[in-house]
Amino acid sequence: MEASELLQLVIAGLKNGSIYALLALGFTIVYAATNVINFAQGEFYMLGGMLAVFAFSGLNVPLVAAVALAVVTVAGIGALFERLAIRPRKDADPMALIIITVGGSLVFASVARHLFGSDALPLPEFTPGPSFVFAGAAIERQTIWIWVIVTATVIGLTLLYNRTRLGRAMRACMENREAARLMGIDTARVVMVSFALAAALGALAGVAVTPLTSTRFDIGAGIAVKGFAAAILGGLGSPLAAVAGGLLLGLIEQAVIPFSSVLKDVVALAVLLLVLFVRPQGLFRRTRKEKV
Amino acid sequence: MSRRLVIAGLIVALALGTALPAGCAGGDDATDGSGDAGKEPYVVGAVLSLTGAQSALGVPEKNAIDLEVARINAEGGINGHPLEVIIEDDASDVDQAIARTTKLIEQDNVLAIIGSTGTGQSMAMRDEINLAQVPQVALGSGAIISRELDPWVFQTPWTADLIVPLALEYLADQGLTNVGLITEDTGFGKDGRELIGATAADHGLTVVSDQVFKPADTDMTGQLTVIKGAGADVVLMWSSVAASSIVPKNMAQLNLGIPLVCSHGVAKQEFIDGAGEAGEGVLAFAGKVLAPETYGVGTPSYEAATGFVERYTEAYGVAPDHFAGHAYDGLYLVVEALKRLDEGFTPSDLRDEIERTSGFPGIGGVFTFSATDHNGMTSDDIVMYRIEGGAWVLAE
Repeated sequence: MEASELLQLVIAGLKNGSIYALLALGFTIVYAATNVINFAQGEFYMLGGMLAVFAFSGLNVPLVAAVALAVVTVAGIGALFERLAIRPRKDADPMALIIITVGGSLVFASVARHLFGSDALPLPEFTPGPSFVFAGAAIERQTIWIWVIVTATVIGLTLLYNRTRLGRAMRACMENREAARLMGIDTARVVMVSFALAAALGALAGVAVTPLTSTRFDIGAGIAVKGFAAAILGGLGSPLAAVAGGLLLGLIEQAVIPFSSVLKDVVALAVLLLVLFVRPQGLFRRTRKEKV
Repeated sequence: MSRRLVIAGLIVALALGTALPAGCAGGDDATDGSGDAGKEPYVVGAVLSLTGAQSALGVPEKNAIDLEVARINAEGGINGHPLEVIIEDDASDVDQAIARTTKLIEQDNVLAIIGSTGTGQSMAMRDEINLAQVPQVALGSGAIISRELDPWVFQTPWTADLIVPLALEYLADQGLTNVGLITEDTGFGKDGRELIGATAADHGLTVVSDQVFKPADTDMTGQLTVIKGAGADVVLMWSSVAASSIVPKNMAQLNLGIPLVCSHGVAKQEFIDGAGEAGEGVLAFAGKVLAPETYGVGTPSYEAATGFVERYTEAYGVAPDHFAGHAYDGLYLVVEALKRLDEGFTPSDLRDEIERTSGFPGIGGVFTFSATDHNGMTSDDIVMYRIEGGAWVLAE
């Protein structure tokens, strides 16, 4: 294999990986606040793309505004979902809450089908134009946007966690929710903000990808598996590890393709199960004493 | 430990069922006959995937059947009998398809069953069909449905068996002997992939790279990079999912500079919208409905197709896709056979009469069944299209 082809695979891996990373961040943020795996995360991704298409093509809003509108609306939907579906059962077993999120994902997909139909819907690229060529490998303009979004997200989250009161409260909940509550932190608010933030990140990923792939009411479940896998690789703890998990998953997939694209997803899932049993704390986290 | 197991379980469950059914509404939907009150209605069943992964196919199929049943009844029904079609939703699920089939046979005593939408469901219904001896007209496009011939089962969509030889012949004619194959990882994709792999050599072609993608994939540059590295002269794609429109975009991005030839799966506006400018010049093989003049202006097929397109567009505000056409054909194959039968016929008579269908001008093509051919179309029913100016136009 030539170097330029190898580079092309790496670029594809980092591009897909960035999308997985944004979804993994959503899983990680909600898990940190609630110990719940939110299986509706993939639907936030779908809704982001759908609402952007609807605002752009249906309401004729300029693309930038359509993107912003979609992300903000989905963040609101995330908060509302937490308020209406999760909070009333917040003391239930995490497994019950997980089932609620699975139910939520079915509802979101069904509603999207009724509102937007069952066809794939396209969105124009943020900045149309030919791909950049770098050492014989092509990089789409939209891929650059995806990388910019992921980088900005990581910087934004780091600032949020380290510089703001809300961020510190979120980190405290991550460490120990009960203790955080006893210290006077409004944990209910943290949970709601976490859902809104996760939804916004999912929507951002969906909006960034839709120009490349179009969107459809049923794409949420498929991408959720990838985001979830990336989150597990990252150990469901640190946001930076979630991003690393996403990028790693993207690269592993591309590494399998030259041998057999049929096995791409199988190998990715096998790696995931291996990590889960050998290093359940994720690839990047040091083992910590389990609380009893 | 228990958390680990729970998460592992969830991973496996998700991996097995990525395509969670996106809906769960069930129930009956009878399209009632309001024709001649004097004679008892002819009751036909239909099992369609109105919810779940294949709802995008099942819904236009239902639309087509509703529309045409109303028309048939408005014109006096079948030999004075009103026509009633009871439509059941299988939620794109094999077990549901079997259960709905049993219900139609045992509770509704249907004369024949149209469906199901998917190949998996269509095949799964076969045992019930054989047990009850009720004719089935399947709308799944898997070649296996007609390849594993069942006397009671007919099939209306174009199959890989019909289209693969035409596509390979075209590639051979053009001297595009090194084929980069890319298929979707579904039953539809496997159908084409296996047949192309098995028969490419017969046409003097070599599959230099055999790539697969998932319906949920967001990027195929990896697969296409490998195809490029293998020295392909052409990319041959067998796919019908929305993700197929990513392939021409990625090819343009990589500046592959070789043609893209596709199965009938992409012959829809959705593919053009998704592919955008990168779609220009893409070739696909499909039936004549996209360009009705190819039937021959004034021929019965032309009249049937243009009439149907007009009625459907007026009723639903969009032009019918080829799935609607396959359902139209399924319905009329049964209706025409019923018309030819005298009162007091048996299910076996109806089966025989469907098999005697000869030269029926449908949307998918002209159907002539025989004891050994229950798909009934020939290569004359398939033409090649090219995307030009954002539309499918007839290619040379």
